[in-house]
Amino acid sequence: MSELYQELIDLWERAVYLRDIKGEDFEDILEVVQHLEDLRHRFYEESPAGMRERLRSLHSKIHELEDLAARTLTPYEIVKIVRHPQRFTLLDILENVYDSYTELGGEGEINIDPAVVVARAMISRRVGDRVYLHQVMVIGHEKGHGEEFRQGGSAKPWGNEKALRYMRLAETEGIPIHFYIFTPGAYPIEDYPGAAQQIARNLYTMAKLKVPMVSFISEGGSGGAEAIGLTDFRLMASRGYYSVISPEGAAAIEAKLREGRPPRELVERCARNLRLTAEDNLRLGTVDRIVPEPPLGARRRDYAFFRRLRYEMIRATDEVVLHTRSLRTFRKYLLSRKDGQEELPEEFAIYVNWELSEDEKEVLLENRSRKYREMGRWAVCGEASRLKTFLEKGHDLGTKVFHGLRYGVFRHSQRAFRRMFEELREESSAFLKPVTDPVKSVYNLIAGKKRRPPRVVSLVERLEEPEELYVSPLALEDRTVTCPNAETHGCPDLWVPDLYGEFCGVCPNCGYHFPLEYQWYINNLFDRGSVREFNEGISSGNPLNFEGYAEKLAEARQRTGCNSAMLTFEACIGGLSVIVAMLIADFRQGTVGVAEGEKFIRACDRARITRRPLLALVHTTGGIRIHEGTLGVIQMPRCTMAVREYVDSGGLYLVVYDNNSYAGPVASFLGAAPYQFALRSTRLGFAGPRVIHETTGKPVPPDYHSAENALRRGHIQGIWDRRELRLKLYEALLTMGGPNLYYR
Amino acid sequence: MKHRVLIANRGEIALRIMDACEDLGLEYVAVYTRADEESLHVQRARQKYRMSDYRDPNEILAVADEAGCTAIHPGYGFLAEDFRFARRVVKRSSPLIFIGPRWEVIRDLGSKLHVKRLARELEIPVVPGTSEPLYNEIEAEARAEALFAWLSENGEEDPRLLIKAAAGGGGMGIEEVRELDEVRPVFRRVRAYAKRLFGDEGVVIEARLRRFQHLEVQLLGTPKGELVHFGTRNCTIQSPGRQKRIELAPGFDPRFKNYTFDAQALEEEIISHSLKLAEAVEYDSVGTWEWLVTPEGKAYLLEVNTRIQVENEVTARIARIRGKEVNLLREQIRVALGEGLGYVQKDITFEGTALELRLVAEDTERGFRPLSGVIERFTFSEAPWLTVRTHVPRDRSYHIPTEYDPNLALAIIWGRDTQEVLARAREFLGSVVIQGRTARGDPLVTNVPYLQEKLAEVYEFRS
Repeated sequence: MSELYQELIDLWERAVYLRDIKGEDFEDILEVVQHLEDLRHRFYEESPAGMRERLRSLHSKIHELEDLAARTLTPYEIVKIVRHPQRFTLLDILENVYDSYTELGGEGEINIDPAVVVARAMISRRVGDRVYLHQVMVIGHEKGHGEEFRQGGSAKPWGNEKALRYMRLAETEGIPIHFYIFTPGAYPIEDYPGAAQQIARNLYTMAKLKVPMVSFISEGGSGGAEAIGLTDFRLMASRGYYSVISPEGAAAIEAKLREGRPPRELVERCARNLRLTAEDNLRLGTVDRIVPEPPLGARRRDYAFFRRLRYEMIRATDEVVLHTRSLRTFRKYLLSRKDGQEELPEEFAIYVNWELSEDEKEVLLENRSRKYREMGRWAVCGEASRLKTFLEKGHDLGTKVFHGLRYGVFRHSQRAFRRMFEELREESSAFLKPVTDPVKSVYNLIAGKKRRPPRVVSLVERLEEPEELYVSPLALEDRTVTCPNAETHGCPDLWVPDLYGEFCGVCPNCGYHFPLEYQWYINNLFDRGSVREFNEGISSGNPLNFEGYAEKLAEARQRTGCNSAMLTFEACIGGLSVIVAMLIADFRQGTVGVAEGEKFIRACDRARITRRPLLALVHTTGGIRIHEGTLGVIQMPRCTMAVREYVDSGGLYLVVYDNNSYAGPVASFLGAAPYQFALRSTRLGFAGPRVIHETTGKPVPPDYHSAENALRRGHIQGIWDRRELRLKLYEALLTMGGPNLYYR
Repeated sequence: MKHRVLIANRGEIALRIMDACEDLGLEYVAVYTRADEESLHVQRARQKYRMSDYRDPNEILAVADEAGCTAIHPGYGFLAEDFRFARRVVKRSSPLIFIGPRWEVIRDLGSKLHVKRLARELEIPVVPGTSEPLYNEIEAEARAEALFAWLSENGEEDPRLLIKAAAGGGGMGIEEVRELDEVRPVFRRVRAYAKRLFGDEGVVIEARLRRFQHLEVQLLGTPKGELVHFGTRNCTIQSPGRQKRIELAPGFDPRFKNYTFDAQALEEEIISHSLKLAEAVEYDSVGTWEWLVTPEGKAYLLEVNTRIQVENEVTARIARIRGKEVNLLREQIRVALGEGLGYVQKDITFEGTALELRLVAEDTERGFRPLSGVIERFTFSEAPWLTVRTHVPRDRSYHIPTEYDPNLALAIIWGRDTQEVLARAREFLGSVVIQGRTARGDPLVTNVPYLQEKLAEVYEFRS
């Protein structure tokens, strides 16, 4: 009897699941659900035999419907599968994939952030008649089958910080990390350590974490996913999604909605356009392998799937480890033979020890760097002809050799020699002091002491202002504007030619910064005529064939005369040569896509090779460009990797924010900078007020994203004034940064 | 074209500009604020507009457009030396005539450091000190050490330095140091103050001259390149806040006082230096070159005032053009509207001595605190040698506004020589009656006793 009831409940759950995924107007699913509910109410009134008969027919009906549903599955329905409370969660995985586990720093609700679960776990494999156990650190999001306190797997800033802490622990202990990504996105609040800043810190650390890392994506929601997503091997569930933004968010942006819900039809179109399914992501190269699920997605009791997942996690870790070994050919062959093989082998053919030696760790980091540098590179457009690339390559090699010799070999030996000489001189004068001092004092007594004023050895020379200022075209009107702070600060109205000319767009009374066009910075920050752009040919394309995007790009390109939102150029400040990467508002709101990321990485590399300081000037950035989907998202780990390598080489990476800077870039290559400064009146953060309000349900204060608050929360190092930006930059170039700059 | 002048100022200078305009047959428009409604300059003007602030360029230009003005006279104070205002007046889409120097001149001569640099280039002596702003305290200390050494070598027994904000003015951001150890903390304090108040951290260090006479050279130039001087004035007697209280013309009087140096030669020297600088910048309006003269007869250029000054009438009172009296305001307006001078330097002669007393409602016993209140009675005995410039009505009581300087009146007194002027000044001060009450009901005090006392120090070197 109870068996029969269980069967009924199972059928009902399947029907409800189907209804939730496919919608209420899917065939006659509503009737089936109704029927099952009726049966449930009348369960004890019917005879078991009749009931069995009915269940059988319903079973075949549901089976039929499931078949049909699987065949007609759309991307938006996949999103709904992933969000369904019946889908497996991280705790299900810990129970079923790992042999034993201990959750660290959390017990259900008693947790700094219940949306992030960390565990020390053991995973086992059988080879022949031996069972091998592996220690791993498991870090991931927990959706908790709809439990309210898990926030649907949205990690708070301190949740990501917790993840980072245990990553470091794993590094100390030398065990691999398995990441499970089940997040719709990070929880968008700015409280310390800050949503964006913490993701950036995680990426920065993960770029050079010396343990093998494997991630598994079920729900990959943009920045939240990247916080634990920069790994050596990325697996993805076949019914998971991995996207730059939720389809609803994309639809709201496309429809330019300020509030309210976007129409369903648009949401479905966006889901299609975003190319967020596992197959799409594998094709785009943003994940490495797909873990197959049942056609309508795995649920909490799909044990076959968990077996598969265990196998795939071990295999992926093996591959990562083997790639660091010199003796690996045959074992790699054995692993790679399994590619595309659908059935699951009973046991492993080989055993791989997951511990790495120091040399192997270096290889691991190199492999990771190469992997992310190559990831999605195929989508870069506007490359020059083969001859030109060849010439450029030759030029790059030439500068590398030249600068290596000039600043590496020669400078190094010269510096060592000078230091030795200094040491010698000081030591000898100290040695002679007891002899010379009495002589000196006697001499002073006779000759009359005359102190000479000291000669000043000043490091920071004052900058000469350029002869004539570049005047913004905004200044050519005879009118006045009112400062937004006039009511609180009593600012007089400003005459536009003064404001945008002499005042550099700053209210002289209260210091409010009016927005200025990016050309102002290029003309006024750098020495006259020193700006030389490079890689200007790299242009944004439409790799996803997103509907309508090609036209928008063409329009932006025509209007601005730029090929992408990122300008990279060499320039001088007070004679010091710097590499500058600048995101400009005029081109698609300074959003970052493939071209922007690639240009930034090349600028990093150029700065590293030529030992120049690297300056990221953010005129405005609206985040990752949604029209380039996950190809845009992976610019976060890619660029952060390049930043990390540049900073580790002993350079100076400086970020200056202006106007509005939000989302992905701030949560990666900008937020990872050791020196970040904001101009006054900048707005800086992770998510805009609308998203915060919708996610948290709390109203957002108007100054929530102000530079002052960013400074108060510890996100930036200081606030600068635009009027003295050139001087501040010059001082920063002289006083900050590592030992490997060409002028040190 | 018939010109109409907007008088963008208040008080006695507004009245004097009105005089000059009427003299030249020009129409004028006055502006005033709520606090000034009782002032004479408002009563006298036929066409007038009320505004909220004399310092707001937007309002002033709006009034100018509304009233159909063709020129703006800024007077002194407020916007007179604001080169941005001058620039805006001439650069806006419907430009007006700015009665004053070109904006570039106001900007360049308005910066004390720039004047110093320019003066050094032209070999004009300036007060020893830095001519570039200092930002670095190590450097500042080195410069201070050198200056202390220079002062000691020049026989100063108690050498002192002034540390000033480069962008400062009007006595703000200045501190005195007596010894080298003080330099760094004071430097840091002044730098922080300068940064906060003026937005620029630049600091200058100067030797402090303790005994000196404050002389001024009055110049007049035209856009056509003509340039004449109207001799010198002596403005040594100042309140502790560095506001002038008694001015005399001429700058030296060898018949009245014995100098250890050749006063006439020195006067000629500072005039010729002033002319040299004015020529270099092509100065094109009335202006004043301020000098410090030490008892040893060394003169140093202090600064340039690119405006008509309060004390212009002291000079006008003794100057004669082809024997006729001069009105410098009239000359300033005439020149700005495009007329030539019509005379040359040798047509200008001088006659007698003139002295100006500034009657101010201030408590000289208590730190020269400015006072406000009601003036109930204001009388003095008229005399042919006396001119009183005031906006305070004598036929009824007057509220001193709290928003502005409590300057009540200027008395300009002429005499054949210094002795006579001093006697007449004493006579005037004895006859003047200013009675009133402060807001708290106490009797209103003025600086009349202070002026009486200070008359004895005229032309003296005091520290």
